Amino acid sequence: MSNDILFLAEFNGSAARSALELATGAAQLAAKSGGSAVALAYGPGASDGAAALGAQGAARAIVLGDDDRPAIGFAPAAAAAVRDADALALLAPATPNGRDIAAALVGLLDLPAFGPVRAARVADGTIETEQATLQGSVITTSRPADGAPTPSVVLVLANTFTPAEGGSGSASVEQAPGADDSALAKATVAERHEAEAKVVNLEEATVIVAGGRGVGSEEGFGPLRELASALGGAVGASRAAADAGWIPYQLQIGQTGKVVKPSLYLGVGISGAIQHRVGMQTAEHVVAINKDPDAPIGEFADLFVVGDLFQVVPALTDEIKRRKGA
Amino acid sequence: MKIVVCIKQVPATGADKRYTDDLRLDRAGVEAIINPLDEYAIEQALRLQDAGTVETVSYLSMGPEQASEALRRALAMGGDDATLISDPALAGADEWTTAKVLASALDKLAPDVALMGMASDDARGSLVPGAVAAMRNVPLLSYGAELTVGGGEARVRRLSATGFDWVAAPLPVVASVTDQVGEPRYASLKGIMAAKRKPLETWSLADVGLSADDLRGGALTTVTDARPPEAKPPTERVENLPAAEAAARIADWLAARKLI
Repeated sequence: MSNDILFLAEFNGSAARSALELATGAAQLAAKSGGSAVALAYGPGASDGAAALGAQGAARAIVLGDDDRPAIGFAPAAAAAVRDADALALLAPATPNGRDIAAALVGLLDLPAFGPVRAARVADGTIETEQATLQGSVITTSRPADGAPTPSVVLVLANTFTPAEGGSGSASVEQAPGADDSALAKATVAERHEAEAKVVNLEEATVIVAGGRGVGSEEGFGPLRELASALGGAVGASRAAADAGWIPYQLQIGQTGKVVKPSLYLGVGISGAIQHRVGMQTAEHVVAINKDPDAPIGEFADLFVVGDLFQVVPALTDEIKRRKGA
Repeated sequence: MKIVVCIKQVPATGADKRYTDDLRLDRAGVEAIINPLDEYAIEQALRLQDAGTVETVSYLSMGPEQASEALRRALAMGGDDATLISDPALAGADEWTTAKVLASALDKLAPDVALMGMASDDARGSLVPGAVAAMRNVPLLSYGAELTVGGGEARVRRLSATGFDWVAAPLPVVASVTDQVGEPRYASLKGIMAAKRKPLETWSLADVGLSADDLRGGALTTVTDARPPEAKPPTERVENLPAAEAAARIADWLAARKLI
């Protein structure tokens, strides 16, 4: 077994933020394991962009494919590359695409799976991970069982690693070995429907202003957008707001939406049901504004403001603009 | 056309949960339910059966004997029959083990669509559908907001970064669906009575053609520690302030943490 750390690097024209985070994380782990960080790059732009992952510490990049197929279609090529690489661990983003490829690798190569994890480290020559389970009520530490095959497949939550900046390295780029024939490659995009407006990727946002049922309408999100803009952040929502059609499902945070880990999460008119909480509980700072003094979010927010969001949010936007202008 | 819905019994969402001394989930005395996200898979399958697209809806679960309660509850919602895989060798199973066992059982049941919820409430790895598809060498259609079948293929409507795609693959497939497929139906009293007479079989590991050796000791991962989350500092509360003052307090708080 080598001591290399592989990571999935998704491209969508350019490298996804998850690719930069995982390159940084893989390089950190590889420094401990005595190996190299190696990218498995896929998606449009992967061939051209993979070398630049060297700036975050990737030594090599193996390109699985450049086309715009469903991510699971890259799994057979990923499996061939993983088999050849014989690495200690493989980091995958805990996104739907990342999970699909990771799951296929677990099934194709009989690998141990971890996550979604909030921390990963090298200890005693093996990988050790830390995960919030049972809706965050228990923190577990896990390792591969004795004699388990490698690499360990580790799903990593967004913002677990902060992309290294200022690096200038370049990864050596190679093409993946030929993929095995696999039925996994048979899924194809039959129809594509693009929304009119571009939707931000919440998993990449470091500041999120999220609105819930209390926002009351599509128009009600206007003041939240202004606040998010003043803070340099993005707008998200609870399932209730997405179900009501006030905001696209791409912006839903929670168990069945995005799992986010921003440095600041500001919840507005959100009660804080467990299904929402599991999508944001790893945020570094949580501020909540709610008119209900007994809202569950008041029990786990760092700062809980009881008040009318339609008054407090615009006032906060003005206050932040005033301070930034000063 | 036949669908097998894979379901998992989990501790109730609000239940007090803990690990045992040997670092496994303590199931004793904890109310158990069908994993809420699996109920959407059940609903999706039953809608296809209601529409006449699918003839048979079966359920499959792996777990201790008490997991048969979850299968009875699923049968009370609708569908035809159920199978529980239960074996002492499966205690402490991880995702790889679960996928291995379900894949072997599905080979035997041979459905056109093996349907699952998008994640389990307790672990949230979402890896089992993809691993099962890979082990069985059938296509994966994951995270469907809707599932359709017909013309020898299945399709799911899946959110993309900016809109949505219809992703298609030839049958048989493994598919997973989200909570956007529609609210799960309640079991009627008639359904509950009918469920008692529906076939529910229990299979051992040997019944699906696996031995304990095939499972490499039962799991490829091991939990080395389980502890409560770090205690957070108590919530700071701001109440009964005019909006402008409340806003100033929030701004001060953010500034003190260098967030603005």
